[in-house]
Amino acid sequence: MQPSKFLYFCEHGLQEIALGIMALVYTTRIIWFLGFKAGGERQAPTGSGDADTRKGILYSWANIVMPWAMESTRRKPFFYAQFVIFHLGVTAAIGLSFLIPYGHYLSDSREELQEGLLGGTAMVWFLQAIIGAAFVVAVVRIVRRVSDPYIRAISSPDDYFSLVLLTVWFLSAVLAAPNQFAEGEGYLLAFFILTAFFLIYVPFSKISHYLYYPFTRYYLGKSLGYRGVFPILRR
Amino acid sequence: MSEKKARSHKAEKVIERLGQKLSRQIAGSMVACVHCGMCTESCHYVLANPGDPTYAPAYKADKIRKLFKRHYDWTGRFFPWWVKAGSVYTDADLEELKDTVFGKCTNCRRCSLNCPMGVDLASFNRMARGLLVSVGVMPEGVAVVSKDQWEIGNQMGVLKEDYLETLEWMAEELQDELDDPQADIPVDKTDCEVVYSINPREVKYDPRSISDAAKIFHFAGENWTMPSEGWDMTNFGLFSGDDDLGGAVARRLYEKVSELRGKKLVISECGHGYRSTRCEGPNWAKQDVPFEMESSVLTMLRYVKEGRIKVDKTRNTTSVTFHDSCNNARSCGLTEEPRELLNLVCTDFREMTPNRAENYCCTGGGGAMSMSEYTPRRLKSGKVKADQLKATGAKVVVTSCHNCVDGLADVIRHYKLDMEVTQLVNLVANALVIPEKAAPSAEEKVAQEKVAALESAKPVALPLADLKFVVADDEPDQLAFLSTVFEDYGATVVTATNGDETLETVRREKPDLLTLDLEMPGLNVGDVFETLRKDPELEDLKVCIITGRPELRKLIYDRSVRVPEGYLDKPVTEETLLLTVRKILGIHEHET
Repeated sequence: MQPSKFLYFCEHGLQEIALGIMALVYTTRIIWFLGFKAGGERQAPTGSGDADTRKGILYSWANIVMPWAMESTRRKPFFYAQFVIFHLGVTAAIGLSFLIPYGHYLSDSREELQEGLLGGTAMVWFLQAIIGAAFVVAVVRIVRRVSDPYIRAISSPDDYFSLVLLTVWFLSAVLAAPNQFAEGEGYLLAFFILTAFFLIYVPFSKISHYLYYPFTRYYLGKSLGYRGVFPILRR
Repeated sequence: MSEKKARSHKAEKVIERLGQKLSRQIAGSMVACVHCGMCTESCHYVLANPGDPTYAPAYKADKIRKLFKRHYDWTGRFFPWWVKAGSVYTDADLEELKDTVFGKCTNCRRCSLNCPMGVDLASFNRMARGLLVSVGVMPEGVAVVSKDQWEIGNQMGVLKEDYLETLEWMAEELQDELDDPQADIPVDKTDCEVVYSINPREVKYDPRSISDAAKIFHFAGENWTMPSEGWDMTNFGLFSGDDDLGGAVARRLYEKVSELRGKKLVISECGHGYRSTRCEGPNWAKQDVPFEMESSVLTMLRYVKEGRIKVDKTRNTTSVTFHDSCNNARSCGLTEEPRELLNLVCTDFREMTPNRAENYCCTGGGGAMSMSEYTPRRLKSGKVKADQLKATGAKVVVTSCHNCVDGLADVIRHYKLDMEVTQLVNLVANALVIPEKAAPSAEEKVAQEKVAALESAKPVALPLADLKFVVADDEPDQLAFLSTVFEDYGATVVTATNGDETLETVRREKPDLLTLDLEMPGLNVGDVFETLRKDPELEDLKVCIITGRPELRKLIYDRSVRVPEGYLDKPVTEETLLLTVRKILGIHEHET
């Protein structure tokens, strides 16, 4: 049994086109961003004698995996856990979007893939658990964005749309994970069409923040490392 | 009508200049925010105003970010409503932006350090201030201070003769105190190891910190000097966002040190001064600095460690805590040295929580002390600091920043905390072990005893004897305190408790000095002051403002009459009061 041509197109051709557009837009974005001149520091380093730009940059980049480093994450471990789950869910769903169409290269046939990597096995359960948890977090985040006056005040239509779309995407990923196209292609089609939409939409939305993350944290770390502020001392 | 035509001239310029101000760092901060809200509780304004989202860092950032999105970012250009992009069109829009960037943020950088994305709001808030300043939209205080720094060379408008006179005065005080004519404050000496730069606040309101520093340099045997010009290490360009001013002020200082062939520029305790001069100045001035620069905290610590000065920590036994200035801690990494020094000169140092780079702003940062229109907002946000101070249980809060001294003093006064503010230089000077002079010979001893016997036979002359003071204040405690101190030192004191009474009493008594509270019932104190200044019979009247409401200063200083000879913030200590009064009246310590 093979998937329909339309599903096959959604899993392959559509994804490749969307990925191509995304790569093009991202490349243009990076070129645009690098067109802004970076500010430098002429002064001698400050701090307690161990100011180190490199250390500052590494510390800044690693901030994401050091919830104790920032007061905002240290004081909100539950929120940090949500962040981790949410982003693991994104990673897992992205992984799934490659695993389904290309995973069979690891196997001898699509059927084997169904039976092997994604055949009602622990892998499916594992992916569903991660993405499902991310879905729950996404729902919590929607509630928070709507109900918290501070978050509501800063939210734009893009914020709501991106979050809702991700939530639906997580749900479609959970349902598509078993890859049971023989029993109906609806979930798989929904998942891949949403994925393609995302690939095209993301560069224009706030979801592209991960593209800038390495840069913003690099420059903050570079400056504050040179000035002896990073790594932050707590005693 | 097109969008461009609908924009006011100022708004047009702001948009035009935005592009020139965008560095990669700023652009990164503009595009990277995900509106996660993690920064919200890092801001002392938010904590003091629960439920008001307009204080949230991300909200404030969006006020600026929307301009970037509308004019530079793709999505914002084509679908502005989708990402809340927007522009400024009228002068009223600029005023609204002013209220946010000047009145709701002290650029303390605490949110920047708490942003998972590394968005540096403090940097682009400063940029937005600069844009507004470039079109003349700024709080009045910012305009006044910037003008003084451009035109007079320092941000408090201290004239060169007043500055030099104060240095001379402090040198004489020091010589009298130490009975040592060698204890001096050298000015414009060339080829020194240290050129010492200060905050004009020290000249105007806190000259004791100059003589304390001079005492430390003297006992350290330092070859040092102070410049006659280009001595102001503060830089209002940091607060106003005006890089041109920042560069000009920094250059003045660097050029003077080079002219004096100084080997090291030592910057007195001031957070924004240290950051501006040591860290940002070379970048604004676009020049490399050929000499070393350091904070006086490091200088003092080195003197102690090298044994150049000896200190006795048992002279500072009162419990102290330390307040990290935002500029020192979050922008220059100066956090450990002050603590090391404190532990060497104090017996009871208690850490504040949170501290170092996580400390909360004193509320006076970012030039907030000069923006009187935002004072109620600032004082309300001071609740966070007040709670933090109170929790330490300390009696004294030490800080290495003049701005913080004023900000903290305001918070302490407003929240009625039983605390004082001081700086490390004062504690180090107090802890100094002054080497004893060589014992006199037998002949010298006999001669000294004779002089002492003659001296003791003379009647004791009180320093303020034969002087008449009018003390004007509506607070009975303050009135009693000031009157008692002056009377104890020999002055005749007449009191007044409202504006009308002050005017009448001064005209009748023709005193040598009037101490004037700025907030009293009756006739407006500013009008009283102006009337007295214009009275030809009161030409010689000296006036010292003593106020607990520094934001009311403009009642006096905005008038086109001679400014008061002195100014003190409440609460005032007996020592500071006498020092200021003696300075105003030209009475030297040896005369007392």
